[in-house]
Amino acid sequence: MNSKLSNKISYQIPVGPIHPALKEPVQFEFTIEGEKIIDVDVGLGHVHRSVEWAGTKRNPIQILYLAERICGICSYCHPMAFSLAVERAAEIDVPERAQYIRVIHQELERICSHVLWAGVAAHEIGFDSVLFLTWQIREKALDLTEYLTGNRVTKGITMIGGVRRDITKDMYPTILEGMKFFKDNFEKIRKIFLDDKTFKLRSQNCGILTKENALKLCACGPTTRASGVKKDVRVDQPYFAFGDLDFDYITPDIITGEVNGDVYDRIIVRLLEVKEAVDLIEQCLDKMPAGDILSEKKPAKILSTLKKVNGEGIGRMEAPRGEVFHYVKLNGNESPHHWKVRAPTYNNILPWIPMLKGNQIADIPIVAASTDPCMSCTNRVAIIDNGKKYQLDKQQLYELSVKKTRRLMK
Amino acid sequence: MKNDYLSPDQIVKSLKDEFKTKIFDSRIEKHIRGLKKTEFYHIWLKSDRNIIKDIVRHLIKLEKYPHFAVSSGYDMGEKIELVYHFSIYYGLKGKEVNINITVELPKSDPTIDTITDLIPGALISEQEKQEMLGIKVKNIPKDSRVFISEDYPEDTYPWRKDEKGPEKTIRNLHEVKK
Amino acid sequence: MKFAMLSQVFSQMFKKPFTNRFPAKYAPKNTTKFLEEVGAGRAEIIPPIEVPKGFRGKIQYDKDKCIGCKLCIKVCPSEAIEFVEENKKIKIYLSRCTFCSQCNDICPVKCLSMSNEFLLADSDKYSKDLIVQ
Repeated sequence: MNSKLSNKISYQIPVGPIHPALKEPVQFEFTIEGEKIIDVDVGLGHVHRSVEWAGTKRNPIQILYLAERICGICSYCHPMAFSLAVERAAEIDVPERAQYIRVIHQELERICSHVLWAGVAAHEIGFDSVLFLTWQIREKALDLTEYLTGNRVTKGITMIGGVRRDITKDMYPTILEGMKFFKDNFEKIRKIFLDDKTFKLRSQNCGILTKENALKLCACGPTTRASGVKKDVRVDQPYFAFGDLDFDYITPDIITGEVNGDVYDRIIVRLLEVKEAVDLIEQCLDKMPAGDILSEKKPAKILSTLKKVNGEGIGRMEAPRGEVFHYVKLNGNESPHHWKVRAPTYNNILPWIPMLKGNQIADIPIVAASTDPCMSCTNRVAIIDNGKKYQLDKQQLYELSVKKTRRLMK
Repeated sequence: MKNDYLSPDQIVKSLKDEFKTKIFDSRIEKHIRGLKKTEFYHIWLKSDRNIIKDIVRHLIKLEKYPHFAVSSGYDMGEKIELVYHFSIYYGLKGKEVNINITVELPKSDPTIDTITDLIPGALISEQEKQEMLGIKVKNIPKDSRVFISEDYPEDTYPWRKDEKGPEKTIRNLHEVKK
Repeated sequence: MKFAMLSQVFSQMFKKPFTNRFPAKYAPKNTTKFLEEVGAGRAEIIPPIEVPKGFRGKIQYDKDKCIGCKLCIKVCPSEAIEFVEENKKIKIYLSRCTFCSQCNDICPVKCLSMSNEFLLADSDKYSKDLIVQ
């Protein structure tokens, strides 16, 4: 990368569609001068699978399984938000025991997702052994999921009107043992991420999103909470049983006392959310009411009730990455008339533009990964230098990021 | 400013007072959850398409930065309907209210004004409606395709159910061999 | 910074590795020969970890109980079940099945159930092992 010219000319680098720090294809165009980024332009749409169109050809129970495969990590939130929307449109009442079980599964998924993210962030900075350490902790959470639902990733536990499997009293000891394991290891992870000098040097004052930008661009999830905005669907509009439980918004001033809106603050918010999730699961197990788990036990009857419904409904949930929004319009046929899905990352993409301006190229992986985009990784960056094209692939861009860490460590 | 919030009835009343007949068909839904029976509200309204910007300005008076979730749209035969989903009063425990506004656009003249000068976060959503339904958003800051690739045919709109729909570009791969 | 991790690194050196070495300690160079040796008793396969109760494995079909109501076909999300007209029974293609067990829930006479088998890999999509009927 010999781009040191005496008079600074700005280059334009297209990054994407396949990108090292994101897990999904996104296209960027960076305008750079030397190593500093001046301007950013974002383009989307490379994994468009026409899921919403496919949903208009299937009946609601089949759509539950289609929605589960929209995303691998938030694979619990999409079918749940869909069934919330349908239940509100058709005015179906969900029994209380099912609401508590839904909370337990959601918080378990939040633990899995945030621990995975912590490993990926450490990998982008250059600490590979931290990746393996955190993922070993995640294995315990996945084992617990398999014990409760039958599968590690695509859980298949949602049904319109409740959940499909119950949590009986003989399952409680295993769950409580898992929670104790997380509590014991939380201090280890916290020390590695928050007290380590290199982590602090790489992540503080990097990728700052001010509170005003976060409000104007309608960001959601931990990205906006780290900038001081108090937005959390679980507290604002309590769905399931969150209205009965005791918790609050999480902003970084709980630990550091001030809010900067940089990458370090986002790490703090996510680690504190893991701690809160363990606490919520224990509260739920304490207060679990007795009762049914499904409002209507025969799926054939559910289908015939939904065939006669005429109405619209919305379902909003707090996924590990932000707010998931589903809108369903039913008009008396077997399949819904219209289904709109909005994953949280689509609102978190526009904030990348103010976050990346003024930073260096080697910061692109860690800043982009700090918003936890729900997309899949790829490889190439093409650099156009005075008309000559040469390519940096994933390995080289990642090496740039690691080299910067080594420079800082000296 | 955050200490005085209006109840859902008062919000609807204030909108109806300002816009009189251009807002119609309003309903307030109440939902109850959990053992403590916490409740929250959704407001649904229908409005005329020319006043959508004024409604957003009115919402800004109630809450400085209303949260815009997404806008969904569908084809109803003769007309296209768009639904804008906003929510205000976040930050207060249990008090957030969803406001959903439906506007109708006739197929002969499917244009609507942009709201990105008031809420910059609405850009991607408006671009999506342009390419999926074939409507035209006036004064949009960036007019390009966002989800569909450049080589998709120009006059085909995937969410439409009439002759401009995507029927010609569908391939059912799973029915190839059984 | 280095000292915080040193204690963890040391303790890790003495712990048993987390991975379960299934089926053998090192990957065999020739799989057919390896399987022959297992059959003759000269080599041993390390078993996989036990799956928990309620695991959703290969589907099992009790043909006599089935009444031919076609409800499972209606609810399958990936169109993996086909109706056979001659004897009013069904045929399930495992290469398309997503193992969601929704058909189990909806069947009125409970003739479908999920077993514990998960070693189902095959090289032909329509081979005998992957069709249940």
